[in-house]
Amino acid sequence: MIQSGPEFRRLRYLLIAQLVLMCVFSNTSHAIPAFARMYGTSCSTCHLDFPKLNDFGKAFKDAGFKFPKDDESMLKIPPVMLGAPANKELWPKAIWPGTIPGIPPIGFRYTNYFQYTGSSSSNFAALTPPGTLPPLVPTTDFETGVFSLFTAGNFGSDVAFWVNDDLSSASANANGGLGDAYLKFVNIGRFLKLPTHALNLRVGQFELEIPFTQARSIWTSPYDIYLQSNIGSMNSVFPQQFVNNHYVLAETGKGVELSGGLHTGGYNYSIAFIDQNTGGGVGFSPYVPTALGSSQGGLGVQSNADFKDIYASFNYRFNLERDKDSRNAIQAAGTTGPRDHTYLNLGTYYFYGRSEQRLVGVGADGTAAILTASEPFYRVGANMTFNYRCCLQFNALYMYGHDMNLLPVDATGTLIPLQSIGQIAPAGFVQGSAATFSGGFADVEWLAYPWMMVMMRYDGVNSNSDRINALITNPSFTGSPFNAAVGSTRNRFTPAVQFLIHANIKATFEYQFRPSQSVIVANNPATGLPMAFNPFHTNTAVLGLDFAY
Amino acid sequence: MKHNLLPIALLITAFAGTAFAGTLEGKVSSGNSVVYVDAIPGKTFPAPSKSVTVSQRGLAFVPHIVAVQEGTTVDFQNDDSVQHNVFWPSVGGNKKDGHNMGTWPKGDKRSFKFDHAGVVPLLCNVHSEMSGFIVVSPTPYFAQTDSAGNFKIDNIPDGTYTVVAWHEGSKPQSKSVDVAGTGKADFTVAK
Repeated sequence: MIQSGPEFRRLRYLLIAQLVLMCVFSNTSHAIPAFARMYGTSCSTCHLDFPKLNDFGKAFKDAGFKFPKDDESMLKIPPVMLGAPANKELWPKAIWPGTIPGIPPIGFRYTNYFQYTGSSSSNFAALTPPGTLPPLVPTTDFETGVFSLFTAGNFGSDVAFWVNDDLSSASANANGGLGDAYLKFVNIGRFLKLPTHALNLRVGQFELEIPFTQARSIWTSPYDIYLQSNIGSMNSVFPQQFVNNHYVLAETGKGVELSGGLHTGGYNYSIAFIDQNTGGGVGFSPYVPTALGSSQGGLGVQSNADFKDIYASFNYRFNLERDKDSRNAIQAAGTTGPRDHTYLNLGTYYFYGRSEQRLVGVGADGTAAILTASEPFYRVGANMTFNYRCCLQFNALYMYGHDMNLLPVDATGTLIPLQSIGQIAPAGFVQGSAATFSGGFADVEWLAYPWMMVMMRYDGVNSNSDRINALITNPSFTGSPFNAAVGSTRNRFTPAVQFLIHANIKATFEYQFRPSQSVIVANNPATGLPMAFNPFHTNTAVLGLDFAY
Repeated sequence: MKHNLLPIALLITAFAGTAFAGTLEGKVSSGNSVVYVDAIPGKTFPAPSKSVTVSQRGLAFVPHIVAVQEGTTVDFQNDDSVQHNVFWPSVGGNKKDGHNMGTWPKGDKRSFKFDHAGVVPLLCNVHSEMSGFIVVSPTPYFAQTDSAGNFKIDNIPDGTYTVVAWHEGSKPQSKSVDVAGTGKADFTVAK
């Protein structure tokens, strides 16, 4: 029984971590019908299957949410001038003139789901302690999704803005949260005589320039590798990991980003510096007022260390049209009209951060001391996209994750398993084998008709933390299917199809052949270690309706 | 001697033509409509030598509706800084006459000669909201109404004709009209 005691608390923390991750990823952000209103144009001008951008949509975004050329002539609703343009000549004796959109550029999006869960989910009833009711997993279930508000546009002088907020998420009265919220100063390299598009600055909260967006993905289910964290349990059976790094790559970051290049051809890069926020258990001080005025920590103080995480990405896209003019244009010149380029995009990315854990321990003199385990981690990988014209796209991403693993030891250098913490004070840390994972995904997206997208995806994640967590948590199912995955590899195939009923209304269907799970753990006679038996799959299907206006 | 008689013969012919030409007037219940005299059996008309231009400007076809005679060449000019395309799925409902003009950049134009009468719905496959119409009249006797629906077609030879009124989004209306010096025809178009 592990219903009480430090180990149970540890499991509870794991569950809380899962819930935190779920909340983080409910903050999705999507297409902007406000642009359709401002320019009097259809969603399909910028999107293939919303929120997926076509090449023109990418150019629109690169330009700072405006038409790459002659934007003023395209606007059906003229902007409101905040100062006559001639004020530029008076600067610094006048405010530099800008504009605001002629109408508030606001859009909304709502999603609604119906899900089916395979009957094998009832196998988990075997984990229920005697005398208690097993959790009820309905085979069919209606689910409310997310109601989001988003606004974006341009304030003139190449200053773009974006804010999206999920007003409700998952159920009635459930709070959503702020997604992306930033200002982007486009093409600031012009002040340094740099080539056009060479340098932009973004400030605020934003999804990093990860190779494939999670927030604006057309997939109903997230990419598993983007949700992968390194949270390694520690107990007397498996004392070899003590990592508590909640960071996942698709998480929004708060900070600044330098970027440049175009997403329609050639290079693009991003370098971001964001608050570290790895959930290492650092609380706010109730005694130190913040610059924002609160005695309780205030707004904006939520990172858990002074260290700023660093993210960098670089991509190069080769447009493959033979005709030079067509190759260099925003959209290729097809025989039946402009279309997306046939292109090959190759990229790489790297994230470096530090995960902090603090423990009450003892110092060298035997007195109480706070010990801080600062565990550097990195994520590194590569990505590829091959796109054939309008209609066929192959994507692939690989990621390797590595966390330093500092294990608490007592004054004699003996490992202190987790449940002993508080009884035997740790005196320091020793470096154990790193907590690592690797994996990625590959998918194919085929636009069979302008209104129908057929897709298939493979997700694979291989994590030693997952394996340890699965074996530890199996006797008490925590509600996380991945914690109970068989072995360290979890993978799934996900076929999907989506239909645009209108350009702004979409019906989606996705079937997930889920990873193998188990509820029976027994000792391997060869190794003496516990291992899973009788694996089974709990497949799920989800139908969705999604509309934006 | 022949040379002296030729101007006289031409003058007589001109006066004769004037004597038999009439005017058709009327009103369509909705403005911005097109009225034309339908094909006249056994009679053909030379194609106009002057082309007509339809521009793509501000993500719209300009003009939105244009009426031309059968055989007219229409120049499609891209005046936007974005790429455009022009295609039509049918002419007069005949899908065999559908055509795609491809892609061309700002400032360039492509031309097409409309040899079949009927309504041509213009579309752009990258800006699906763009819409325009070319009404190809089988005769040179056509007119676009004003915003109130009034129209006037001059130089129609006296006779009895089938006159058609077309309005965007409505079913075309036709009626037989006698023109003897003048003629009058009112139409009610409804969606």
